[in-house]
Amino acid sequence: MTADTATAPAGGADGAATAAPSPRGPRARTWAAYLRYGAGKLGGAAVSLLAVLVTGFFLFRLIPGDPVKTMTGGRPVSAEQLAAYRREFGLDLPLWQQFTDYCGKALTGDLGTSYQFRAPVTEKIGEALPNTLLLTGTAFVLYTALGIVLGTRSAWRAGRLGDRLNTGLALTLYSVPSFWLGLLLIIVFSVGMGPVPGLFPTGGMESGGEEGLAHLLDVAHHLVLPVITLVAVEYGQTLLVTRSALLDETGSDYLTTARAKGLRDDLVRRRHAVPNAMLPTMTLIFVNLGRTVAGVILVETVFSWPGLGGLFYQALSVPDLPLVQGLFLFFASAVIVMNTLADLVYPLLDPRVGR
Amino acid sequence: MSTRDQHGRGRLRLPAPRPRTARLAAALALAAGLTAPLAPAAGEARAADDDGKRVLTVAVAQSVDSLSPFLATRLVSTSIHRLTYEYLTDYDVKDARAIPGLATEWAPSADKLTWTYTIRSDAAWSDGRKVTAEDAAWTFNTMMTDPDAATANGSFVTNFEKVTAPSPTELVIRLKKPQATMTALDVPILPRHVWEKVGDYSEFNNDKDFPVVGSGPFVLTDYKPDSYVRLEANKNFWRGAPEFDELVFKYYKDGDAAVAALQKGEVSFVGNLTPAQAEALGNQENIKVNDAPGRRFLALAVNPGARARNGEEFGDGHASLRDQRVRHALFLAVDRKTLVDRVFRGHAVEGEGYIPPRFSTYYWEPSPDQELAHDPAEANRLLDEAGYRRNGDGRRVGEDGEPLTYRVLCHATDPNDKAVGQYLKEWWGELGIGMDLECLDNVSDPWLAGEYDLAFDGWSVNPDPDFVLSIHTCAALPATPRDTGATDNFICDKKYDDLYARQLAEYDPAKRADLVKQAVSRLYDLGYMNVMAYPNAVEAYRTDQIASITTMPEQAGNIYGQDGYWSWWSAEPAASAGSSGGTGSTGVVIGIVAGVVVLAGVGGFLAMRRRATAEDRE
Amino acid sequence: MTDTTGAAPPSVRALVRQRRRRAASRFWRQYRAHRAGLVGLAGLALFALVALTAPLTVGSDVAGVTDAPGRPLEGPTAEFPLGTDRFGRDLLGLLVWGSRVSLLVGLLAAALSVVIGALVGITAGHFKGAYATVIMRVTDWFLVMPALVLAVALAAVMPRSLGTVILAIGVTSWPTTARLVRAQTLAVESRPYIERAKALGGGHGHIMTRHVLPNVMPLVLAQTTLMVSASILTEATLAFLGVGDPTVVSWGGMLQDAREAGAVSAGDWWYLVPPGIAIAGVALAFTLCGRAVESVLNPRLGVAR
Repeated sequence: MTADTATAPAGGADGAATAAPSPRGPRARTWAAYLRYGAGKLGGAAVSLLAVLVTGFFLFRLIPGDPVKTMTGGRPVSAEQLAAYRREFGLDLPLWQQFTDYCGKALTGDLGTSYQFRAPVTEKIGEALPNTLLLTGTAFVLYTALGIVLGTRSAWRAGRLGDRLNTGLALTLYSVPSFWLGLLLIIVFSVGMGPVPGLFPTGGMESGGEEGLAHLLDVAHHLVLPVITLVAVEYGQTLLVTRSALLDETGSDYLTTARAKGLRDDLVRRRHAVPNAMLPTMTLIFVNLGRTVAGVILVETVFSWPGLGGLFYQALSVPDLPLVQGLFLFFASAVIVMNTLADLVYPLLDPRVGR
Repeated sequence: MSTRDQHGRGRLRLPAPRPRTARLAAALALAAGLTAPLAPAAGEARAADDDGKRVLTVAVAQSVDSLSPFLATRLVSTSIHRLTYEYLTDYDVKDARAIPGLATEWAPSADKLTWTYTIRSDAAWSDGRKVTAEDAAWTFNTMMTDPDAATANGSFVTNFEKVTAPSPTELVIRLKKPQATMTALDVPILPRHVWEKVGDYSEFNNDKDFPVVGSGPFVLTDYKPDSYVRLEANKNFWRGAPEFDELVFKYYKDGDAAVAALQKGEVSFVGNLTPAQAEALGNQENIKVNDAPGRRFLALAVNPGARARNGEEFGDGHASLRDQRVRHALFLAVDRKTLVDRVFRGHAVEGEGYIPPRFSTYYWEPSPDQELAHDPAEANRLLDEAGYRRNGDGRRVGEDGEPLTYRVLCHATDPNDKAVGQYLKEWWGELGIGMDLECLDNVSDPWLAGEYDLAFDGWSVNPDPDFVLSIHTCAALPATPRDTGATDNFICDKKYDDLYARQLAEYDPAKRADLVKQAVSRLYDLGYMNVMAYPNAVEAYRTDQIASITTMPEQAGNIYGQDGYWSWWSAEPAASAGSSGGTGSTGVVIGIVAGVVVLAGVGGFLAMRRRATAEDRE
Repeated sequence: MTDTTGAAPPSVRALVRQRRRRAASRFWRQYRAHRAGLVGLAGLALFALVALTAPLTVGSDVAGVTDAPGRPLEGPTAEFPLGTDRFGRDLLGLLVWGSRVSLLVGLLAAALSVVIGALVGITAGHFKGAYATVIMRVTDWFLVMPALVLAVALAAVMPRSLGTVILAIGVTSWPTTARLVRAQTLAVESRPYIERAKALGGGHGHIMTRHVLPNVMPLVLAQTTLMVSASILTEATLAFLGVGDPTVVSWGGMLQDAREAGAVSAGDWWYLVPPGIAIAGVALAFTLCGRAVESVLNPRLGVAR
């Protein structure tokens, strides 16, 4: 998570822009042009999804390991039985036929049956997805809000002590491995250290057994440390992008004009600079949303969160091909969908696009 | 093959016919990143919850693979089945001899081919129906006729010819040939009236309709994948109701998180501790560390050249290892004392024979002149004698002039494998032998294909050693290279096979024990299975939540993964448990606080926005 | 910048060299103004010094388990300022020794990633048309791949070694660079002197290596610096997930060891804290440098002021 997005804070506006919507963004003048542009983006997304579908299938077939032998777990099994299993899972068919079957089913929403859990892949993903969404969603809202607020303040006080401390802290936290931070938080705030009592659960998502409001609070209680970890390592990026986008705007002529009109600084900031500076930030936000889902593996591991990350890791070691493919498809789709949304929303928000 | 043991959890069951599964299961569990303490990571035993129910929460690190006894092979799942379905026979908590379970008595016929079990009439399913011989017969017959139902426990019925239930209290099993392990059938007996309605056993995971109808001391009432499994006490259990009202297995991916939960009092049982954790917990109040002699061993298995029963050879094991002197030399270089001292920090016993000392009936020690004690000089001498001399660089070379380098297969998920591997690398380096430590998440593939030279191996040994002995017989080799055999590491030795067959047919316990020891001695001399250590079972529980709990064996035994339901069935809540409350109310309070803080943060943010707007309006 | 057409043959080289020297000193003057960049640079120098002198200060013996000097998991003492690890090895020594692997993997993976990215970016920017469309599609595709997921999958496919880790990081992290470089290439190629070079018969190779490359080099440099930071974090992450080579001492591997030994719950903070700080320190130093370089090249960003 920290790793795959690490270039953006430094890349500033540039980094963000490269991450998602292509720089040759639309200069659409009319709705018709916008629709044409949107259709193009959607088409591109469809192609990407197809590419992911294909690679997901072939990439994981490279993992050494005979799933059937692994599945039978070393129990004595005759060659006939192994063949029967292969037939059951369609592994005896030629690769191209397995592939077409897989694609055909995937298009109808059937991702196959997990080898190890003997349950439909969609069901396994369905079980874990809400948990992952709860964790990443909460963290996402918080770090985005925090990043934008602090980034705005920092930009307005650029160069002063407050700004230095702010960006310094953000950069430092951004450089910290998330799993390490999570472990430290567990030691300090879960187990308790010195005068700090153990305030939070050490892992999991719920104690179990509670109903209604008590259950919600229990989950919220379990949510605190993992969310803090994610927010700490992620907010820096939003902060830095917001800040540099704002600084970029500060030099703009229209701002000088606005100031010259005698508008108060605050007003200039809120009415003019911030909305424009939000563009690169918006882009980053969408990209993050897609990536956070995939990047949450580490935090889920450290905090025993029953989400997609842990599921993926288990699936990979068998290899439980249908589950691995399904999750891979899901992770990549999340990014594609979010990037496409960013592409579609971007021109709507860009004030320079006269609609 | 491998770590099963470490995975002991895997193989804790008796006639353990699923070695690699255990390994795999453990590997999977570990794979999830848990690497540290595995299976019973920790138990969060909130001793009581708000309405005064006494709850014992045991946290586990393995995911449940399936809750269907026909499919489940991971230790966590089979442990749950132990608690929710009674078997025909159980094992005595003191000495593991067979004692009545669903069957009150049993007897073989004169020709030893027909076993008749008397089924108790005071056992009931949790829905009120009586447990009958018909249920047992149906369970076995289904496994014999439906390959899907035989997925997990099929090996128990391969030698069955016919199973019938002449009356509700009489079960008759007809065998194809005599089998000494008929009082060790670890098969959960299922309620026919529920299970015969299931269509496809290959996809039925028994996790939709709660409570699940069972007959054990606990009833399965709820399950959430990778979160928890909830069991309620079966008040009508024929042996007597458990002391705790509820038993929860809670999932902890990370072992340290589980131990932290124990320290906090949020959890009352943790299993599979590392030495560092055991030491840290040992000094704490209200925590008891149970450091019991283990039932497993950690061995260095040698690939003797993989082959199938049809004589075909496969794999690529190093040819030099077929020389017994080389195998002995490698093991002579191993300083087992250092391993016990450093890697296990005393929580293990130096390895010798194949069966751990805990099983005193079958335990065998090498005689002084037979023993391969740590002796690098002798190792060097043996290698010289075998013709592997040092070259200019000090490396030992074979006849082909190639320096000796062995690939050692290790389980990436097992910290002990990796640690011991580093010692081996340096010790063998001094002998002039190179070593590549190949750590994989899933060792099954190279293992089954015979594509390794040496490998870390370990099994949990059952009270009856038949299974762990059987995996080194020629009969266990795969029929052809395309099959999977029961064999551990392709050992096939006539003399050993002969001893194995004789112990299986021997009905006199003392004579059988003697034959088993001879077989173990032969295995030791062969040098294909070099036992380095018997790791202890290191577990801990909170004495302010659990007043007492039965280990197995009762004297110095383990708690998690017993051959029976003794520990959780017998566990007594501590007096203070009712009030301590665990996370219950404090948790809620803190949850509220946390929620308020989050809301305040969001609120503050919005307020700032609003203020800003207000300013704008000025 | 490297336009040589007007100069007399003998002085061309000298002229170019002189010009570059001037550019470099101007760059340094501007860089010096960034305090954070200087801090980062100092940090880097320190880490580099530690890593380069490791063979002299601690030596490879520090990684040996059989002759480990202490008892396993001793707390900090005068003899072992940071305590000992699970084998009884000196943790300070391991930390110093591990810096070599972490830096090496970080640098090589970043270099690999940037080389791929620059190659793809320059060629995609130079040869427009179908080639660019296809290659940028591929780039986009890599961009949407969850990098960590892909890296773990790659590491699972290949044998466990440092090379695998480097490859897994490099192969999954190049697309950002490719897009940046392509954009820059397009900008450079639209300048008039490229037209002139083409008119004078400069081939594709000539244009890309003599004109485009020198102009995108600063960007590539900045990108590399930032990439190293990301690579070091990824290396630690992969080691932590157990995908590394267990016999090699690295910071991520030390964290994984600490966790496997149960140091977290045993409260052995000295085992856990230093490697994490070291990772964060190096990553931060590279990030600070990268940002400073970037803001020198593109002052409008105003990043590090």
